[in-house]
Amino acid sequence: MTARQRADRLSGLAFVSPALLALAATAVYPGLWVLWLSLQQRIPIFGIARFVGLEHYAFLAGDARFWNAVRVTLTFTVVSVALELALGLVVAMALQRQQAGRRLALSLLLLAWALPSVVTAKLFEWLYHPSAGLVNVLLGGRELNWLGDPRLALPALIAADVWRTMPFVALLCYARLLTIPGDVYEAARVDGAGRTAMLAFITLPLLRPVLLIALLFRTLDALRAFDLMFVLTGCEHAGTTETLTVYAYRSLFQTLQLGFGAAVGCVIFALVMAVAWAYLRAIQPEGAAA
Amino acid sequence: MRSAALLLAALVVLGGCAERPRTAEPATLVFKHAKILGPLDPIPGLLREFERRHPGVTVRSEPLTWTSDEQHQFYVINLDGATPAFDVLLLDLIWVPEFAQAGWLLDLSPWVTQRELAPHFPAAAAASVWNGRVWGLPWNMNVGVLYYRADLLAKYRLAPPRTWEELVEQAERIRRGERDPRLEGVLWQGKQYEGLVVNVLEHFWASGTALLDERDRVLAEPARAAAALRFMRTLIDSGASPSWVTAGDEELTRRPFGDGRAVFLRSWPYAMDLFEAPDSPVRGRVGIASLPGHAGGAAGAGATGGFHLAVNRRTRHAEAAVELVRFLAGPEGQRAITAAGVALYPTRVDLYRDPLAIKAHPHMPRFHDLALRARPRPITPYYLMLSTTVQPEFSAALVGVKTPEQAIDYARRRLDYMLSGIR
Repeated sequence: MTARQRADRLSGLAFVSPALLALAATAVYPGLWVLWLSLQQRIPIFGIARFVGLEHYAFLAGDARFWNAVRVTLTFTVVSVALELALGLVVAMALQRQQAGRRLALSLLLLAWALPSVVTAKLFEWLYHPSAGLVNVLLGGRELNWLGDPRLALPALIAADVWRTMPFVALLCYARLLTIPGDVYEAARVDGAGRTAMLAFITLPLLRPVLLIALLFRTLDALRAFDLMFVLTGCEHAGTTETLTVYAYRSLFQTLQLGFGAAVGCVIFALVMAVAWAYLRAIQPEGAAA
Repeated sequence: MRSAALLLAALVVLGGCAERPRTAEPATLVFKHAKILGPLDPIPGLLREFERRHPGVTVRSEPLTWTSDEQHQFYVINLDGATPAFDVLLLDLIWVPEFAQAGWLLDLSPWVTQRELAPHFPAAAAASVWNGRVWGLPWNMNVGVLYYRADLLAKYRLAPPRTWEELVEQAERIRRGERDPRLEGVLWQGKQYEGLVVNVLEHFWASGTALLDERDRVLAEPARAAAALRFMRTLIDSGASPSWVTAGDEELTRRPFGDGRAVFLRSWPYAMDLFEAPDSPVRGRVGIASLPGHAGGAAGAGATGGFHLAVNRRTRHAEAAVELVRFLAGPEGQRAITAAGVALYPTRVDLYRDPLAIKAHPHMPRFHDLALRARPRPITPYYLMLSTTVQPEFSAALVGVKTPEQAIDYARRRLDYMLSGIR
């Protein structure tokens, strides 16, 4: 390495350091602090602060409520993300075919996505109202207690989430579809390819990178979802819609058990990191090729 | 010898207090409180009256956020941060021991003797005392009661039920006789929130067991507790209560009864004023009774709720703040609040016979005996932890996600772990 290169590297480091410091101060330090907190019994109201090691994690390992929260979180994530991807793809392709009113359709789609999620949640609270809700009216005046029935609450939440974030997937796919040159389809048609063949061998492979990115974003979002269940089924339902984030919130803010709540938070962190890492590994070769 | 010295010291302190001038220096007190529900707000008038009697003292009132969770969070953050920004605070009675244990409240014992608590209903006064010291004064209260349709019971020649088993039988008989599919049996609050804990506690007591016993043991009789929960579940399964009570809160259950669509309702005193309103369909047809017991268990008792007044330990004007608390919780303060028609009832026994108070709540005297027999929820600094831990378990047992035994067993194990670290 020449002196010049060394100097370049040093000045480079100097330029990056403010960003690194900011990152360290806002992400790394609090992250480590939460990890440290999770190893303590810490309840400030009663002046309790002592080291307990992995005790909280050991309790969580045998905690039925925790495992129920894990199950709810995973069900919510898998089902809602799968539906969002499938529907988003269909909507994107429909948009591409659509001749008239495409702009209007796009704006309407964007509207659903642009609403603050608390507003969406409040909206669905009314749609799902047992006696006055539009959903029940459309179902022929049944009195289904969507948010109150433990069997219906989770599906109802998933439907609301799909309505809210499907447009995000649809827009990503639509943007990618626009960049596929028409000649490709032209050539395929000349070669005698049918619609299914074109979808399977042209559209889907070309959409793959975009779909993977949508999958990554949506999965991470769904894993840490909080707002929707907090507003819609906040304090009800025997834990049938209690996700890990809601569980962490309850432990932290309702009863102010900082140590125990931090332990739940760390589990969520580990889960999200593991999923992100797995996805990024899956996407890497595609990204390099594209 | 030692106790004699203490007594002497106490006398000196008390004597000292009495002789000091009422207000030494100009002070501005901040009174933090939740908005009062009712036709008109009596607080500004009371505060002006207090200022008139204590020249140099001004009182500013600051409203709290709406929900109970947010109020609790506000207090925890600010009191833990040792703020002197407010002097007198209104707090849910279940927080009194918690805040006292945390060292956030001024110990009122030097000013307020336990004798000063005697004019209040025992259940309300008990919640102000923790570790033998006085931390607040009761301001208003709620008591769980049984409402029944007096006209229907009379029609079938029935007396108000003494046990829950009797109640179920009566409800069945009346509904069979009336042949009205819209008439429900008994309504209560089964949604997952503090109200559910109150309802379950009342069933625990009626079965002769408790969430926290005198020796501070949690759910010491799991079989009895599970049986009480099972009974509540059976109310739903047998159709005596509609299945939606598992999502019912006070208002959701009060309305159908007020429309004449239920025979029994467990609720608070505020509902009576609404049932007796001029345009109410059940006006003049509603009776009040003590909550039933369980066959082979104890007599029923209603749980209490309500708000207490306390002083921030960081206050810079302790004397004036204590005076304000005493004034607001005293006979005049409570009478003015009650006369304004506020939804919560006073804690002073005398007021239940006071003409001015009765003018605002004509049925108040009927609640006197019930309030006298009421029981407080467990008085412990860990109440919030107890309650939030058992809520999802009780709810799970009611909607049938878990068996009552599973729910009780899990609640016990979880509370054992949570409490093992702190007491």
